[in-house]
Amino acid sequence: MDLLVALQDLDMMIEEISEVKRLGFSAEREEELINAREELASKINKPLLYSYEKLKKRYKRAIVPVKEDNTCLGCFIKLPTSMSAIGRTDANVIYCEGCGRILYWLF
Amino acid sequence: MDNEDLKTYFDEQLFLPHLQAKTKDELLKEIVDQFVRVKYLKNSDIVLEMLRQREILGSTGIGKGIAIPHGRTTSASEIMIAFGKSKEGINYDSIDGKPVNLIFMIIAPPQDERNMYLPILGKMVEILNKAKNRGKLMSAETFEDFIEVISKG
Repeated sequence: MDLLVALQDLDMMIEEISEVKRLGFSAEREEELINAREELASKINKPLLYSYEKLKKRYKRAIVPVKEDNTCLGCFIKLPTSMSAIGRTDANVIYCEGCGRILYWLF
Repeated sequence: MDNEDLKTYFDEQLFLPHLQAKTKDELLKEIVDQFVRVKYLKNSDIVLEMLRQREILGSTGIGKGIAIPHGRTTSASEIMIAFGKSKEGINYDSIDGKPVNLIFMIIAPPQDERNMYLPILGKMVEILNKAKNRGKLMSAETFEDFIEVISKG
């Protein structure tokens, strides 16, 4: 799960490069970031990566945080507490029952 | 984005007027650890990795003693800004090669309701471009003094 989260963090950074440059920040080594992204993606199992890419196309953000009160920050439904016990372990990939996005428990 | 709006993103628990870090890596870790300590973040490793990747893309040391490490991370649920200060200065590989004294770390979630992340970054750059603000921030010893500089920006 941590690899997938790191991948989304990189994707968000790549997506906003032109905006941060416009604000005057240095962001010249885009290629290195894209290479790091490819290397990271190669470490993720194929079905999971496919699912991530598909969700990313649909929602822009494939993984959404879940707050302490068990709310999915993608569609704002309240998730069952039984789900959070499994999701918190980090070893399992859990999809939101409401929107289908991958859930990442913050607490 | 006005200054009054901006000040709502700061928290006294993320005000660090006496940073201990001596290197860029130590600096990023010291501030991220504070986010974790006050329970704004769960996983420091993921956030540190994101910030290090951001520095590979290009240094967030924007010159004149200022660094604004920033990024979106899936590990955050809201926008948060930490402020740290180092009197001695920290070598940060800044665009002007000078050490940094004033550090603003901006952490944003994957999506923020009002889409404020980029306007906040822009506003911070605007405030820090003014020499008088940099001077006042260097001498701000309390959170109240600090917020007053941000408010008047």
